Amino acid sequence: MRAYKYIFTVLLGTWSLVALSLERTILLGPKTIGKAWKDNILIEPRHFTDAKPGDVLTVYNDNAKGMSQAAFQHPKTWQGVAPEYGCFGFAGPFRMTLSDSILNIARTHGIILGGHDYRILRVTLSEASDYEETIVWSGPAVTMKTDWSASVEIPGRCFEKLQEGDGLRLHVSKVQEGAAAKLMDFTWNALAPSVDGMPVGENGVTWFVYDRAPLLKLQLAGYGAQTAMRIGGKGYRLDSIGIVRQTGEVSEDLTGVQRAPREYQLQPGELFRGEKAFPADWSGNLSLTAAPFQESTENDVLLVSYRLDKEAQAAGVKPQLSIRDSRWQEITGAGEPVWYPLDGNDLIYIFDPVALDRVKTRGLIVTGVGFTLTKIELISAQ
Amino acid sequence: MRHGHLLLFFLLLLAGCTQAQEPEIQPVSSYVLCNKNATPEVKRLWSVLCSEYGKRAMSGVVANVDWNTRETENVYQWTGKYPALNVFDFINIHASRDVNKQGWLDYSDLTPVTEWYEAGGVVGCMWHWQVPANNGTNYTCSPGTQPGETSFDPGKVNDPSSAEYKRMIHDIDQVAGYLKKMQKRGIPVIWRPLHEAAGNATEFSGGGAWFWWGAKGPEAYKALWRFLYDRMVNYHKLNNLIWVWNSQMNDRDWYPGDEYVDVVGRDNYYALQYPLAKEFKQLQAEYPNKLITLAECGNGDEVEMSLWSKIWGEGSRWSWFMTWYDYNYNAGTSDEHQFAGEKWWRDAFNTGLVIDREEMKRLLEVTK
Repeated sequence: MRAYKYIFTVLLGTWSLVALSLERTILLGPKTIGKAWKDNILIEPRHFTDAKPGDVLTVYNDNAKGMSQAAFQHPKTWQGVAPEYGCFGFAGPFRMTLSDSILNIARTHGIILGGHDYRILRVTLSEASDYEETIVWSGPAVTMKTDWSASVEIPGRCFEKLQEGDGLRLHVSKVQEGAAAKLMDFTWNALAPSVDGMPVGENGVTWFVYDRAPLLKLQLAGYGAQTAMRIGGKGYRLDSIGIVRQTGEVSEDLTGVQRAPREYQLQPGELFRGEKAFPADWSGNLSLTAAPFQESTENDVLLVSYRLDKEAQAAGVKPQLSIRDSRWQEITGAGEPVWYPLDGNDLIYIFDPVALDRVKTRGLIVTGVGFTLTKIELISAQ
Repeated sequence: MRHGHLLLFFLLLLAGCTQAQEPEIQPVSSYVLCNKNATPEVKRLWSVLCSEYGKRAMSGVVANVDWNTRETENVYQWTGKYPALNVFDFINIHASRDVNKQGWLDYSDLTPVTEWYEAGGVVGCMWHWQVPANNGTNYTCSPGTQPGETSFDPGKVNDPSSAEYKRMIHDIDQVAGYLKKMQKRGIPVIWRPLHEAAGNATEFSGGGAWFWWGAKGPEAYKALWRFLYDRMVNYHKLNNLIWVWNSQMNDRDWYPGDEYVDVVGRDNYYALQYPLAKEFKQLQAEYPNKLITLAECGNGDEVEMSLWSKIWGEGSRWSWFMTWYDYNYNAGTSDEHQFAGEKWWRDAFNTGLVIDREEMKRLLEVTK
């Protein structure tokens, strides 16, 4: 019996290791990250309970444009969880390697995933052991001075085994504030917009290649001794380069996955539709630009639909909302904010000349407490 | 229908509507060039701009980075027409090969300018005036104390013994050299230096300048503008310039004065028809004897620029507009123009109220 127990324990342990080494989905989209850094989603802290330093967070996405940017932010400070993750360009899935400090933030607060102009499909977590790295260049190390004047030539033979989906990892040291790397082809042109000054952190930077074009450029130089890539930048020392390949498997198990809020297709006249919480801590607000109000006229109506937050009410919160312009000034023109008590019925706001001028010029912000906003409609009086 | 909606219905019946009012434009004779020695070419261009003001707008783009007409080709590809104005930027004068053997462009080679001008285009120049950053190696326009920013003090324009003064003279003289070459070839230039000086200092409490030339406030800025004007017009005898000053709105304190400015411009990347019309009317009221222009515009981070038909329809009568370039689009790495794409430009020309290069060429011919 003891032997069986031992074998069972070993088998269970082995199975656990296999199970943990799978790339598992922790957040399921779609979640649109629209223009102007306005959209984001919190990856909840619970997903990081069992994560370890070196594990990798991957964001699979689509609808990205050439100028799209992403960020992994601290939910309290809204700063990047590390300097290199505050704002970066990307093409294809993008990743973040969890360091001790990042894990500390993630376990306590979670991580905000933001940026602009892309759509999150899913976010996964995989272990460091799921990635195999081969060092293809090991110096001599080159210091990238702050004036961008230094660069290093990397021979084509280093990239012979580089495939689409692989990552090129720059191992660095002596990283200064604002460090950035530029990866160029042999003609000094950036290999891709996302590597034209990508932020470099203490742990280096890894660029995953999801486009054939850079590979073809490298291939053009041949896989011999001649220069295929030039690496430049500022504020760091390049020590070595590795090719990183993901070797782990993907788990289809969605147990415990976090689902992004449902996205709605706005109907004509709708300015917002969805579920936007305005919790007791006053952290909820919703901004609308002036664009949808450009054709508005006096007596047009803003119809605000919401659902009262029963828990907040039970806790003594008085549900109310206020409508401001983008400078947080009262749209009625009053010096003090006007608060509308919420009784469960839709709120109807009719634009007078002052309010009309403000929303057409600056847009508006809905702020308040104790409810969940479900819809805002603009109804034309004409 | 939930309660309150019946009331809403009746309120809707009481609807009123507002109509855009046609702004009052001063007679052409009201607009006088500040430089009495302006070249005949400048006078002709000025005459066209003034006579068209309020009736039609001149179309324009800024060059992709600095010294080319690539952005105009985009407009031509989309619409079959070239914009009338191409604005070059002296942002990289420190990397010009005539002063820097390691440079990567050559401002002293006027080919892009002359080709554009000879094709009938109007030439504009602006100047993102970069000075050495605090780290001593980079160049920047951004004021501040960080290594990549500059503590360059525009107030030193009053101190001929200072290093800043010498740098200013050096850079102004270098740019004046390029403009002088244009003058010698008979090219008038719409000249917009030291733009957006107030930054967002007048927009909200705690705002400030984002270019070094505004970092020390309006008095230092105005002194610098007048110094620049004097150096270029009186010292270098540059008479081929139409001087455009940029307003950031509610920044009258920053205005250098009627005798130094021909055109008042506004840069706006929250370019929606209603706020644009408000701004146009405000500037027109503040500077009644100056042409008012939309010196920079395009889609912003938050909003897409209104179509020109909407902007004009709302009552804006900008003398010209200049859309910004998209580096990624021009590099072929983005399918969508970030600032003003095909739809916008097609709409603009379809209004029949926008002057393209061919039409501008014809208008200038008439003045000969």
